Amino acid sequence: MTALWAQRWSAACLAVVLSASPAVAQEDAADLTDRLQALEDKVERLGQAVERNAPADDTEGLRTQIEALTRELERLRLGQEVVPVADESKFGLGPAASRVYAVQQGVSIGGYGEMLYQNFASTRQDDLPSGRTDRFDFVRAILYVGYKFDDRFVFNSEIEVEHASTGQTGSVSLEFAYLDFMISDAFNLRAGLVLPPMGFINELHEPPTFLSSERPETERRIIPSTWRENGLGFFGESGPLSYRAFLVTGFDGVGGGGSDADGFSSSGLRGGRQKGSRADADDFALTGRLDYKNPHGVMVGTSAYVGNSGQGNADPFLPGETLGARTFIWEGHAQAQVRGLSLRGLLSVATVDDVPQLNALRGLVGGESIGERLTGGYVEGGYDVLNRSETQVQFIPFVRYERLNTQSEVPAGFSADPASDRTLVTIGADLKPVPNIVFKTDYVLESNDADTGVNRFNISLGYLF
Amino acid sequence: MSVSRRLRGASRWAAVLVVLTICAPAPAAGQVFLTQQEALELAFPPPMSVERRTAFLSEADLSRADELAGSGSDVDQRIVSYYVGTLENQAQGVAYYDAHRVRTLPEAIMIVVGPEGEVTRVEILKFAEPRDYLASAAWLKQFEGRRLDADVSIGRGVARMTGATLTSRAVTSAVRRVLALHELIKPFGPTP
Repeated sequence: MTALWAQRWSAACLAVVLSASPAVAQEDAADLTDRLQALEDKVERLGQAVERNAPADDTEGLRTQIEALTRELERLRLGQEVVPVADESKFGLGPAASRVYAVQQGVSIGGYGEMLYQNFASTRQDDLPSGRTDRFDFVRAILYVGYKFDDRFVFNSEIEVEHASTGQTGSVSLEFAYLDFMISDAFNLRAGLVLPPMGFINELHEPPTFLSSERPETERRIIPSTWRENGLGFFGESGPLSYRAFLVTGFDGVGGGGSDADGFSSSGLRGGRQKGSRADADDFALTGRLDYKNPHGVMVGTSAYVGNSGQGNADPFLPGETLGARTFIWEGHAQAQVRGLSLRGLLSVATVDDVPQLNALRGLVGGESIGERLTGGYVEGGYDVLNRSETQVQFIPFVRYERLNTQSEVPAGFSADPASDRTLVTIGADLKPVPNIVFKTDYVLESNDADTGVNRFNISLGYLF
Repeated sequence: MSVSRRLRGASRWAAVLVVLTICAPAPAAGQVFLTQQEALELAFPPPMSVERRTAFLSEADLSRADELAGSGSDVDQRIVSYYVGTLENQAQGVAYYDAHRVRTLPEAIMIVVGPEGEVTRVEILKFAEPRDYLASAAWLKQFEGRRLDADVSIGRGVARMTGATLTSRAVTSAVRRVLALHELIKPFGPTP
C-alpha cells in the first residue's frame, strides 16, 4: 500500500516535470504589440517636443522621460527576464526591499524567506557532549509592502514572521516602516522605523544576497542585525558615492524598561535593541554610512554609530546622576563581485562606557560582564564555477574565516569569559537555479578559548521575490 | 522486492525529479542564457565603459534601412537603442539587441559591431523554441568579421544549420537588420 502510494507520488512528480514545457506560457502578442505601439508614439511625441526647442528647464526633464521610455520599450521588446528591473538594490536595501522604488505609482509587494536545518556535532571542542539538539526551522518569512504615492512620497515596510509562529520563540515584527521624501538623487529625507545603515547584512539580508546559511556572527553580536530603531535622517547618491545618515533612538543597555530591549550582555549589543516598540527616548544616537562603488563591481565603505545607552536610568555609583553608557560602533567593509568571483570583508570595533554601572544595574558578575570593547571581522570568498557556461544556474563554493570577541576588554574587577573569544570557519556551497532562489549547504567549524565550540552542518533554502 | 526497498527506490526517483524540476528552465520565459547586462559585460569587459544611446529614425530612414537589409530582413522599428563601448575615449564597438520570432516563439540576441563595421560577436540571450533548434556557438562564430554584403545570407556566405533552418534564417536576418541600422545610424560619431 505504502509502495503503491510512493509510486503514484513519483508519477505525479514526473507529470509536473513534463508539463513544464515552454509552450505553455506564450506571451500575449496582441497586448504586447499594443503596449509597444503606445510607447513608441509617446517617445516620438516627446522627441518632437525636444526638437521644437522646449524651454531649457523642460529639456532635461523631457530627456529623462525619453530615456525612461526607451528603456521600457527595450524591456518590452527583449522581455523582462532579459532586462530585469525589480532586482536592483536601491539606497542600500536588498533587491526585494527596493521594489517600491521601481514602480510607477501605487502598491508594491515583495518578500523573502529562509528555512534552515542544523545538524550539530555530538561533542564540543573539548570532547564533552555538546548537548545540542538538531533543528529544522523556518527561520523567517517576510513580506515587503510599499506604496508610491507619487514621485516625491514613498512608503516602504517589512513585516516579518520569525520561527513560523508567535508561540514559543516566534514573533511577528515590523522590521522597518518609513516614509521617504524624494528630492533628488543626491539628497532625500526619511522618517519612521529605519535600519541603521551599518555593515552588509543589516540593510541587505535577503538570503540570495549572502553566501552562508547563517549570518556572520560579527553582524549579529556587534552590529546587531536586524537592527531597527525609530528615527529620521537623509540619504542619497552622487556618481560612485552613496550615503545615509540618521538620528535614531539609542540602545537601551540596561533593559527591563518599556521597550523590547533586554540590555547588553557578555555576548554583545544585541539585547540593547529597542526595535521601535515603545522605545525609551531619553537618549538618541547618530549613525551614518559612506560607500564608494565603481562600475566594475567593487565597493568600499565605512559606517559608524554613536550615542548614549543609559535611557534615563540612574547611575548606581553617582546618586542623582543619570547613566550615560556612551556606545560607539565603527565598521569598515569592502566587496568585489567580478566575473563570478565574490569577495567580501568586514571589520568592526565597538566600545561601551560605564560598563561597571551597567553590570551593576543588570546584576552581572565575574565573566558575565558586558564588554567595554568588542571586536570582530571576517573575510570570505566564493566563485561561481558555472560563470562561463551558457546557463543562469549558479554554483558557488565559498569559504569564510571569522573572528570575534565580545569581551575584548572588560572593566577591572570583572573577567572575560574565554567562550566570548570565538573563531568560525565556514565552508560550503550555494546552488542558485535562478538568481532569486538559493539552496545552501555549509559546515561551520566553531572554536573558542574555553574549548566549548560546537561544529555544525547546515542546509538552508532561501528565496526572494 | 520488499515494500521498503520499493519505497526507497520510488523516493530516490522522486528526489531526482524534484532536482530536475528545480534546475529546469523557467517555462514562461523560454531559456534565458544571459541578461542584457551580462551580455554587455561580455562584449565590453572592464576597464571599458559603456554608453547607452537611442536613435530615432524617420520614415525615410526606415525605408533606407529596409532596403539595405534586403528582403526577408524587415526593419520595422524607428526607435533603436544601442550601446557604445569605449576605452580611453576610443570606441571599441557597439552592441545592438534584436528580438524576433523563430517559428512561433521568441529569441533575443546581441550583435556587436566593431569600428570597421564588421560583426565581432553574436550572443543568444533568450531562446524559447526547443533547445534542439538553438544556434551553436560555433555556428554563430561564422558571422564574426562579416560586413553588410550579399554573402551574409543563408546558402552563400552563411552555412545552413542542419535541422534548424528557421533559426539560421532568423539569426541571419537579425544580423543583416542590425548591420543595416548600423550603417544608417553611424554610431561612432559624437553623441546625438
